[in-house]
Amino acid sequence: MKHLLGIVLFTVLVTAFYGYVGQLVPQQETYPPQNTEVSENLTTSEMVDVGREIFDGKGTCIACHTIGSSEAGRFPDLAGIGASSASKKEGLSDVEYLAESLYEPDEFIVDGFSPGMPPVNKPPISLGQQEVLTLIAYLQSLGVQPTVTMQTKLKYAAEIQENAATDLASSEEVGGEELGGEALLAAQGCIACHHLTEPLRLVGPSLFDVGKKLTRGEIYEALMDPDATIAEGYPPGLMSASMSASGFYEKITLKQLESMVNHLASLEGGK
Amino acid sequence: MKLDRRYGFPLALVACLFIPVLVHAQIADEIAYRTFPVIGSRVAIWAVAQLHLLFAAFVLAVPMFVLIIEYIGYRTGEKRYDRLAYEFTKLLSVAFSLTAAMGALLTFMLMVLYPKFTNYLVSIFGWTFLPYALLFIAEAVFLYTYYYGWGKFSPRLHLALGVGLNLVGTAILFIADAWLTFMMSPSGITESGGLENLWAAVNNFTWMPINIHRLIANISFGGSIAAAYGAYRFLSAKTDEERAHYDWMGYVGNFIAICAFLPLPFAGYWLANEIYAYSQNLGMTLMGGAFSWLFIIQAVLIGMLFLAANYYLWMGMERIKGAERFRGAIKYLLISVAVCVLVWAIPHSMVASIEEARKMGGAHHPLLSVLGVMSAKNTAVNILILTTYISFLLYRRGNKEATVSWAKTGNLAQFLIFTATIAFVVFLGIYGYFVEAKVRIGLSIPQVLSVLAAMVSVTVIDLMMFRTARERGEIEWGKMPVRAQYTLVFTAISFTWLMGLMGYARSGLRQHWHVYGVLRDTSVDAFTPTLGYASYVVSIIVLIFFSFIAFVFWLAGISDSREAK
Repeated sequence: MKHLLGIVLFTVLVTAFYGYVGQLVPQQETYPPQNTEVSENLTTSEMVDVGREIFDGKGTCIACHTIGSSEAGRFPDLAGIGASSASKKEGLSDVEYLAESLYEPDEFIVDGFSPGMPPVNKPPISLGQQEVLTLIAYLQSLGVQPTVTMQTKLKYAAEIQENAATDLASSEEVGGEELGGEALLAAQGCIACHHLTEPLRLVGPSLFDVGKKLTRGEIYEALMDPDATIAEGYPPGLMSASMSASGFYEKITLKQLESMVNHLASLEGGK
Repeated sequence: MKLDRRYGFPLALVACLFIPVLVHAQIADEIAYRTFPVIGSRVAIWAVAQLHLLFAAFVLAVPMFVLIIEYIGYRTGEKRYDRLAYEFTKLLSVAFSLTAAMGALLTFMLMVLYPKFTNYLVSIFGWTFLPYALLFIAEAVFLYTYYYGWGKFSPRLHLALGVGLNLVGTAILFIADAWLTFMMSPSGITESGGLENLWAAVNNFTWMPINIHRLIANISFGGSIAAAYGAYRFLSAKTDEERAHYDWMGYVGNFIAICAFLPLPFAGYWLANEIYAYSQNLGMTLMGGAFSWLFIIQAVLIGMLFLAANYYLWMGMERIKGAERFRGAIKYLLISVAVCVLVWAIPHSMVASIEEARKMGGAHHPLLSVLGVMSAKNTAVNILILTTYISFLLYRRGNKEATVSWAKTGNLAQFLIFTATIAFVVFLGIYGYFVEAKVRIGLSIPQVLSVLAAMVSVTVIDLMMFRTARERGEIEWGKMPVRAQYTLVFTAISFTWLMGLMGYARSGLRQHWHVYGVLRDTSVDAFTPTLGYASYVVSIIVLIFFSFIAFVFWLAGISDSREAK
């Protein structure tokens, strides 16, 4: 019996130790890449900014490529790519070369590297044509003044079947994906219990300055687990019961949830 | 009639598992996700899937080494092997039922919580479910006939049943692996995700590497759990005879675990290589992105396992008369193990405050970050494997003295092989810093092959050299300290935790995809949690698993005491 207890205690201690080791490394949650707003009227300089955002985010380019690193990476360093791209492949201009590298990366492999880059218009990256144009603008800016515009026609445009496979996931989603955060809050019936524009108490507390009181994480928690923290003077269980009954947790998508959290976080009491 | 009752429970589970799948498709069209109360759907599925995998690993692995032990007993005529094999098999009966129960629970929960995703997998792999179900029934028949038929059939027929059990178990593993590897590296489908070629979907990039990796890892894990059972029984033993038997059982279990553990990093390397070959993005996420720090946790676990394995062998040498002559070598082996573990656990980029980062000139430590790259880590793990192998070699020689005329030459040849291999591995490790990525990645292969070649050639020489060896003394089974038994328990916990962690890595790697690049996760759980959170979940799963294992051990113990009476 003594040894049995010893083994039980030992098991708990060793397991707790490994659990503790897991706390010692950097803690980071990774969210699905955000869709970048790309307007058709962007100036070239705005395109560069958007392209940089895509390079670091949705495009996941930064996972494999470096810019100006002295360390030998798995894929080519892109410092100066804007200047060198015009002479990389005979018969192709810089924009054409960059477009080919993005849409058909295996067409030309830089010496010393292996093929392996996925076409950016296909899953898992799934960039749209306009996003690709901004990415080209950013890559051009690494060396020269960008010449690409939102009106530039790429030969791949007709061939693209954007997001073909991703549609498998999105086509059957519950509606409302296109709605903004405010409209979603209305559509989900939140405004029946919460005032969003005035500090007036309804069934639940007013949310008109919730962005000042709660962090985005706390707002997220308040939506997903309403009973975790109850505002003083309000009954526990009411919100979770009504949301469960309305099927909120079964219908809501991550994107919709993000829109709602974003909108609530922006409510700072009219300021 | 009695036989029917034994088969009843698993067969009922099989029925429960597969009949609902057939009627599930209609419902799945209506809704994508449902929420599991309190802990959420992701954690619920995570826990049940991992528990199912742990029990399945145990149930598939134990028959493999039981068959070998039984065969040794059959060939040598030594009864103790037969008894050992039977004792290991006793653990299987309840574990098999728990595996099936967890599998059924997992299936139900997938259908209820992730109906759209489950429906998609059914649309791809529907035709594999029938053979899976039939194989599952066949496994139940083989397993229970093998267990209850012990000593009742002719030895050859019984061994044949064991072979059948292993073949069926392996086939089940391969089918289930097709489903999960498809989620990571889908193939055989059209651009819109429809099935084009079932065999291509099964035989995707990571299928065979996972099959092999899991087979080896399962043996290692199963061996460690069996060794923990030996340790538990040793600690509860009342007579010296019992202690001697369970000391031996613990040793055999641990030996199996470590033997399988040594080639595991190589299988893991192959798997990672195939992940890169399938998708550089996926590979970079695994090794250079969000999951790179997971490998530091893994390094701590594997380092602990190697330390425990060596420590157990060194303690074991204390019960071998004649092994004291090797005591002096232990400190050097310990230094080697410690240095290799430290190198392996050094991250490339440090966790540092802004002030510390400024002093370092970035997240990379000016000196230590040199050891944080794969060139250094590959070198360290290869030397770690060689060191552990040397520990085992000394243990094996403990009470033996070679009598062949060429013993000195043999020893010298072994020494030269070790020296040349270590020099070669270190050289390639350093060379890796001076070449481009394409060449550097390829250097791992000659490093691995040279270590494998060294172990094989030294083993061959050793077997020949000690075939007619003189014994210096006996192995005093049972004369092992209590801490040695806790080392075995520690090894089992570490293996289980490691399997939990790597299960998370394999599944979490897909990030916001149910099926990578095909079916996007649009649920509220689409984000990847922190490693700290994952560590807590893994710890809880491990504790639940050991609670069940305690139940299995307890039942096996009851069965033993009944037989003793």
